[in-house]
Amino acid sequence: MINEVDSFSPFLGIEATSYEAWALTYDFMVGYAMEDMSPAPALAKEWTTSDDGLTWTFDIRDDVTWSDGKPLTARDIAYTYNRVLDGGPEAVTWSSYLKGVTKVTAPDATHVVLTVGKPNAVLPLLPIPIIPEHVWKDVSEKQVKTYPAEPTDGQPVVGSGPFQLAEGTAGGSTYRFVANKNYWAGPPHVDEVVIRVFKNEDTMVQALIKGEIDFAEDISPLQVKALKDEEGITAQNGESPSFDEIAFNSGSVDTETGKPIGDPNPAVLDPKFRHALGYALDLDQIVRKVYQGAALPGDTIIPPAYPDYRWEPGDEAFTFDLEKAGQLLDEAGYKKGSDGLRTMPDGKPIGTLRLAARTDASLDASVNTMEYFKEWLADLGIKAEVQAFESNRLTEIILDGNFDAFQWNWYVEPDPDSMLSNMTCDQRGGWSDSWYCNDRYDALYEQQHNEMDQAAREDQVKEMQRILFEDSPYLVTAYTAIGEAVRTDKFACFQSQPDPGGVWLVQYGGHNYSSVRPASQAGDCDGVESALKPTSAAEDSGASNGFWIGVGAAAVVLIGVGGVVMLRRRATVGERE
Amino acid sequence: MSLATTPTTAVDSAEPRPRRRGYGRYVLSKVAGAVGSLLFMLVVSFFLFRVLPGDPARTLGRGRFTNPEQIEEFNRTYGLNESLPRQFLTYLQNTFSGDLGISLKYRVPVSDLLLDRMWPTLLLVGTSTILATVIGVWLGIRGAWNRGSTFDKASTGASLTLYSMPEWWLGLLLIAVFAVGWGPIPGIFPTGGLHSTDVDPSSLAGVLDTAWHLTLPVITLTLAYLADYALIMRSSLLDELGEDYLTTARAKGLRDIVVRNRHAVPNALLPTTTVIALSMGFIVSGAITVETVFSIPGLGLLGVEALEVPDYWVLQGTFLVAAAGVILANLAANLLYGILDPRVRT
Repeated sequence: MINEVDSFSPFLGIEATSYEAWALTYDFMVGYAMEDMSPAPALAKEWTTSDDGLTWTFDIRDDVTWSDGKPLTARDIAYTYNRVLDGGPEAVTWSSYLKGVTKVTAPDATHVVLTVGKPNAVLPLLPIPIIPEHVWKDVSEKQVKTYPAEPTDGQPVVGSGPFQLAEGTAGGSTYRFVANKNYWAGPPHVDEVVIRVFKNEDTMVQALIKGEIDFAEDISPLQVKALKDEEGITAQNGESPSFDEIAFNSGSVDTETGKPIGDPNPAVLDPKFRHALGYALDLDQIVRKVYQGAALPGDTIIPPAYPDYRWEPGDEAFTFDLEKAGQLLDEAGYKKGSDGLRTMPDGKPIGTLRLAARTDASLDASVNTMEYFKEWLADLGIKAEVQAFESNRLTEIILDGNFDAFQWNWYVEPDPDSMLSNMTCDQRGGWSDSWYCNDRYDALYEQQHNEMDQAAREDQVKEMQRILFEDSPYLVTAYTAIGEAVRTDKFACFQSQPDPGGVWLVQYGGHNYSSVRPASQAGDCDGVESALKPTSAAEDSGASNGFWIGVGAAAVVLIGVGGVVMLRRRATVGERE
Repeated sequence: MSLATTPTTAVDSAEPRPRRRGYGRYVLSKVAGAVGSLLFMLVVSFFLFRVLPGDPARTLGRGRFTNPEQIEEFNRTYGLNESLPRQFLTYLQNTFSGDLGISLKYRVPVSDLLLDRMWPTLLLVGTSTILATVIGVWLGIRGAWNRGSTFDKASTGASLTLYSMPEWWLGLLLIAVFAVGWGPIPGIFPTGGLHSTDVDPSSLAGVLDTAWHLTLPVITLTLAYLADYALIMRSSLLDELGEDYLTTARAKGLRDIVVRNRHAVPNALLPTTTVIALSMGFIVSGAITVETVFSIPGLGLLGVEALEVPDYWVLQGTFLVAAAGVILANLAANLLYGILDPRVRT
């Protein structure tokens, strides 16, 4: 879901649009590669690890300057990380990336040294925006919790990224970024990027058709379909690394005493019961009917966007096979009684399973998924009812353990560590919404977190997914897509992430803001073959042209929320050099 | 308008009364009442939003604050780890010293946020209310005076239709026709927002640009509000039509238009005054649906979006502003009535 920027301060913002804003304004020391989202050199050219894996030395570029002309050195990087390590508001968003890091120093202007207590497999990935020490040293620990990091006295925000925020305030409706002509990786091909917030998807689509904006982000599958027929517009449902799931109460307990809490149906506490239900989901129908085709059938918690870490169920994969589901339930003791309803192994009735859905999710995917699930359960001889709640209320119900199953979703980062941690025993009462707990899974989690051999780590991560697949605290229903549309008669050269099939914007690393070009100057997009080419002969009027992007999401009323980015192309071709 | 201020019922007692209270004491009692209501709202606004389900750190931090320490740090930073009574005391202390707290979502002082969002709302809803009042009252007068005429039927029918139309739908319709263009109609208006990025909002061009952006939303709201004023004005003027003093006025030989404007209308204006005063109070509550359709960052949207988090301090702030708006407008209406109709002072 995409909303307006909630804060331009890298220490405070949370919304995806804020992350886009920082990707424009700042740089990472080690960021994400465009192609596979793996850790990639950014401010650091290269890095080495000591043999014991406890000391990391990063070689920092010496040709980077802040937008106010001062040089960016290793000291700025160490300063940023130390602010996070020192705790306080700065630690809220970023401390998880520096988990286990005990010391960060900059022995000279071009080297950063990280010391860790235990080997940490998530390193060298450090997607923390690097801030200028000479600006932020005046922002005290007390001030930082409300420090907006917005333009003051008409001066753009000081950063080192490809664009600088020149105009805009958190929660506002337009944010204007101007190109950094001295960007170390080469100047961007457009003069300005303007993000405009739309609170309504329909309005945003109208603005795209009219040409007020050049890119609309997060639109519905129906709108994508309609926009495909518009001349000069290219639209897609872009694959994004996220999944929707049906989660079961796998054992809610009081985390202090270990005693069971809540009132889960005893049937859903049994991994065999949950796993059998995996065969009772017609995922193709869910994709078609619930997501209007804008999704892929799901299986494990690591989406196809990350093939290195993803475990493929292969022959074990769930198919829609009610007979097999029934057979597995029979074997586990859930046999059909005389009334056609299945009973517990001890002969007691199962009763009615409560399927909780969220009412505020976009596209009604939550309620619809559960309605289908209910029908298929009925075919199996299991009674169920769908209950709809607002998200905040459902969170409380989950934490109290008063549920059998619910529908929700996760967005998965390129490094699987944080997603995997959500299913550990320690996260019960925290982010674990299924209350799942498995000692072997936890042991593997610790192991992969400290594993410095990439191949070994991938194997461990896959084994963890296999365990989850067996125990089925989650039945992953779909890998969802994000609707996007772009005026390819004006701007081109967007590369998908993942490539092919992935989203064009709101990616990891913000690379496309540097590679997007006016259609008339697209050429071969620097040889990137998969990049989005311009449609029709783009007019080269030389006049100032706008490229606009829109983003939409569900809001409280019947209406959507969104943001838009507009890239302003160079005033004339002559100014290009 | 369920909150309609009925001025203290004007009892015309048959018995001769002692002297009426002076205006000063009347004002004093009304002001005291308003202050009391405000204090009550102050307390309500704290507890009202605390009973909402949801935990801000969880709603905001999903997928971002990955371990419990991060959530704890967030709660500590924004004072959410303290006990409820302690938070209530802090809230009272802060509010009386003019500090409305920090928004959990935007991390800026709520008072800054409210001021930021206040002027788009005032421009949008204020302008629409004034336009709707003037046009509505005019329609009501014309309609009532020529009751049953084509004009009366057309205006009543049209304003009722517009009144019953969902505002967001009307807004989208206007966007599709006048912002995007339809058939021969060119799309000359912008689809939303408050101003363009390339003009300075404080310059003359900037003001005109903002007016240009606000045209469609103001039209939408004005059309939606019209019926309120038109129908009330129409019916209260109809009540006056049969009155003897109008016959007298006509008998004096006054022209019809003078009879209407000098005699009938002033007497019929009283109920309309109440409605107008109240609407003025509701201006600062914003217009959620129209703000949404036209993407105007106003107070209505701010409050509604804060519910999702829930962003307690923003909710309290918007609630207080809205309550204060209604209470003050109520007070103004009461004081005005005290002058217009001295009977209410008893």
